[in-house]
Amino acid sequence: MRLGKNLGFALLIILIFVVPIFIKNQYYLHVLILCAINIILASSLRAITTTGQISLGHAGFMSIGAYTSAILAMKLGLSTYAALVLGGVAAMVVAAIIAYPVTRVRTVYFAMLTLFLGEVIRLVMTEGRAITAGTSGLMNIPHLDNISFLGLFSINFATKLPNLYFILVLMLITLLFLYSIDRSYIGITFKAVSQDDSLAASTGINVARFKAMIFYTGCFFAGLAGSFYAHYMSVLTPDSFGLFYSIYILIYVIVGGQGRFSGAIIGALILTLIPEIFRVLKEYQPYIFVVVLYLVVFLLPGGLVDLPGLIRRKLQRGRA
Amino acid sequence: MLETRGLTKYFKGLRAISNFDLNVGHGEIVGIIGPNGAGKTTIFNLITGFLKPTSGDIIFEGKDITNQKPHVIAERGIVRTFQLDRIFHDFTVLQNLVAASHLFAKIGFWEATFSTSRYRRKDANARAHAMEILNFLELDDRKDEIAQNLSHGHQKMLGIAIAMATNPKLLLLDEPLAGMNPAEVVKALDIIDKIRSRGTSILLIEHNMQAVMSICDWIVVLNFGVEIARGTCEECQCNQEVIKAYLGAGGYAA
Repeated sequence: MRLGKNLGFALLIILIFVVPIFIKNQYYLHVLILCAINIILASSLRAITTTGQISLGHAGFMSIGAYTSAILAMKLGLSTYAALVLGGVAAMVVAAIIAYPVTRVRTVYFAMLTLFLGEVIRLVMTEGRAITAGTSGLMNIPHLDNISFLGLFSINFATKLPNLYFILVLMLITLLFLYSIDRSYIGITFKAVSQDDSLAASTGINVARFKAMIFYTGCFFAGLAGSFYAHYMSVLTPDSFGLFYSIYILIYVIVGGQGRFSGAIIGALILTLIPEIFRVLKEYQPYIFVVVLYLVVFLLPGGLVDLPGLIRRKLQRGRA
Repeated sequence: MLETRGLTKYFKGLRAISNFDLNVGHGEIVGIIGPNGAGKTTIFNLITGFLKPTSGDIIFEGKDITNQKPHVIAERGIVRTFQLDRIFHDFTVLQNLVAASHLFAKIGFWEATFSTSRYRRKDANARAHAMEILNFLELDDRKDEIAQNLSHGHQKMLGIAIAMATNPKLLLLDEPLAGMNPAEVVKALDIIDKIRSRGTSILLIEHNMQAVMSICDWIVVLNFGVEIARGTCEECQCNQEVIKAYLGAGGYAA
């Protein structure tokens, strides 16, 4: 059973890396890149929610990463890879600083504070014209630097395929890291905190510290995703990461199922693909999301990850 | 080992507890009794740091712990249970204990994330420790049950088990017997006595007088936030103030 599962995972990963070679349509590659970015965002937000906190400013941290990385690469001429990591670090540092007040309040207030924070970040990017170029946005952000292997061949990130592979690797590292936390002792502590924080405190768990810890860890990965986005798109405006995006990320998590690690991945994947498949309905995207959200919340409170179990139970009942 | 001096708490001018002195020795079981609203649970909240006293000091093992945070006080060795069934409802019984073994396990973020050999050893130790506590409280046969599916009596025992997983020096039990049937009460008292023989001192709030009489070394009686009697159970039983507090003053009763 265990072996079968591992084998299945190995096959899945091979599949993920082989399939793109055969995709010739540039637009499809772009959609897959967006999927990977959204999976990183949804999974890192889901990690934050395991302590019972709901952040409505996740896209704001993505924005911090994106702008930091872009500006470091453009104005200081830093290597794009160093800039990429520093973008994540910047998001983490901002999260760590504001973690002290915001992790000491209850869920609803945490959501409100992060919501405002996301908006404040957007306003700072809009108003800081000298550095961020305001609403007109940053243009010509350098693509990721070429990688050359011993002078034999080199990878140029001007096209979509190398970017897709890069973000896939980044996504797998992120998922591996977050999954390791989730199923470890620390992951159990996070879930204990979310169930009853007074009881957790009474057993000696420093509730605020644990909440802060996963908050800035999650924001680090959001920043990382943002950094990649900046170098991939080459263009950055403050409105790329508005409140709507933060809410979408949360909807990915809820629709996929917050209770399980795979939930955020499935939610992000499906809800990124649906609007692309029904592209004629692009302007109705918010409505589609609302309908999907309602259906899931009422019919499948545990999210889409619960669907197989539900079908199995229905079948068994049918047989009995 | 635990001493409170002049412990006082007002809620917006309303007196919850006033000038409360207490001295709990090693290995003692001390009962706090009194009618509803007498301020018993407030004392627990003050000692464990969930509330800050208006005035007064709390000293534990010679150190001042007044105004410390709950998790720090738990680390020092004072752990409480809650009146309602406060357990981690979505966890299995074993997971409840594993989560509560946090102080014992001392596992760091990075070693857990990278699953180092040191982490795996600590994790195994924590699980063994959790199992040991479950055996001790006779909950081991329910270890894989989801906590919210347990019977009320078992949930109460789980609450105590969670507190015991921290290896407390002083255990504060808030109405551990409430809602239990007579057979469960007998078993629970037996276990409380076993906890004492492990070297853990106990401060007990309980309305079941028979149980209090049978297990406590001495008791404090409170009424409206003020101590009205203290001493052995027999002494307090005959105290006029106590009789008045429980049965009402003269008139009808006489």
